Amino acid sequence: METLYNLFETLNNLFLIIAAFIRGLFADPQSVWANLTMDVIGFIIVVVIIVLAALILILLERKVAGWTSQRPGPNRLGPRGWFQTIADALKLIGKEDVTPAGADKLIFKIAPMMIFCIPMMTLAVIPFGKGLAPANLDLGIFYFVAMSSISTVAFLMAGWGSNNKYSLLGGMRAVAQMVSYEIPLLFSLLGVVMITQSFNLGVIVEAQATIPFIVLQPLAFVIFVIAGMAELNRAPFDLVEADQEVVAGPFTEYTGLRWGLFFLGEYGNMTALSALGATVFLGGWQGPAFLPGYVWFFMKVGVFVFFMMWARWTFPRIRIDHLMHLAWKVLLPLAILNILLTGLGIYIYGFVMGG
Amino acid sequence: MFGKGLLQGLGITLKRMVGPNITEFYPEVKPTLPTKVRSSMGLQPDKCISCNMCVMACPNSVIKLTSEKNESNKKVLTSYHMNVGRCLFCGMCTEVCPTKALTVTQEFENSIFEPDDLNWDMLERAKQKGQVK
Repeated sequence: METLYNLFETLNNLFLIIAAFIRGLFADPQSVWANLTMDVIGFIIVVVIIVLAALILILLERKVAGWTSQRPGPNRLGPRGWFQTIADALKLIGKEDVTPAGADKLIFKIAPMMIFCIPMMTLAVIPFGKGLAPANLDLGIFYFVAMSSISTVAFLMAGWGSNNKYSLLGGMRAVAQMVSYEIPLLFSLLGVVMITQSFNLGVIVEAQATIPFIVLQPLAFVIFVIAGMAELNRAPFDLVEADQEVVAGPFTEYTGLRWGLFFLGEYGNMTALSALGATVFLGGWQGPAFLPGYVWFFMKVGVFVFFMMWARWTFPRIRIDHLMHLAWKVLLPLAILNILLTGLGIYIYGFVMGG
Repeated sequence: MFGKGLLQGLGITLKRMVGPNITEFYPEVKPTLPTKVRSSMGLQPDKCISCNMCVMACPNSVIKLTSEKNESNKKVLTSYHMNVGRCLFCGMCTEVCPTKALTVTQEFENSIFEPDDLNWDMLERAKQKGQVK
């Protein structure tokens, strides 16, 4: 029993032990160079997580799409088709890189890079396990939302730089949609911040040791999921790339690896938002102690991602006027109501307990 | 209202997800076709009496056959060609065939690379089929 417990503790703190070992290689474990090395390692880990997530999620999306329509999905390459994404990526690399003659070349080329950078920056503040946040910021949630809203600019840049009617229309749609849905998204997170009195994601996870915030804030969770899906431009909110209306929106003129970067960015952003949802509402790395914390965290992220895919392959696309109605007339009042109720709850709780 | 329909939809797709797939793994597993499928033609040359009925019954003049009389004054097929590119697989030729030498079969893997291959030599095909079996 004792050895089992020790083994579990070792597994739970595996990455902390490795980090301490690497720091120990330096003469002064807390020197600038040691910190710099750890930061670089953290960055590499985040990039690896994004690339791995994109590799797995692209295939999983196609599998879920198949399963919902009673098909097995990709099943030719490798065992049950699990190598399909590698073949797709190779195909994308082999394609010609076309920049339209009338395009604004610099903006056109920067936009996909920006999209791909955003999940790297946002995932950096997520605590992947106990003490495993690559950058432990005190304004974690604030930073996350601020960074993820940059993708609006990237979409508009892609739409404008392509010099194409449909791309510009898609870009404008992206701006309208993402700016609108950011407000309910942020307000839904505010209830949790009010309870924990902190923007730090690590503190928020610590506060969920007994009960995850999905139980205390069910309304906020529902708003978060809906606004989050809209923020990611995923079906049923994929008006930005609605094929029937605007061809492929901002992605129309992109080919090969640049288009692939948009794709990677989409799935990276999806992972980042799922990670935020799992951290804030589902308890992050907290969980029954028979599995290490980081395993719990990635399981919760997986459940979140699966739900988003499930919703995507169930619902038809929302109409553009209903999109704005939903954001401003339904989600925003509900989010404000949730803040009011949370405030009242905190006040009553303090009144009863504090006396 | 209030998202009841949304939950219902999610429930339906979940049921589809865990339920069995309806995909047929075609090249590995051959499908079982309905009995009424008509997708290919087969000829048994020894049954054929070269009466030319099938040639006359065909609405698209697909069939061309030649024959010669043997020593016992019976007609024997010398060639039997079907231009399958124009064939509808309507089955009129098989209905009219008095000895049932010509039949509709259910082989469906008929794709070819050259347009000339659409002109089936039925005698050759019958020979090949006999060899395969």
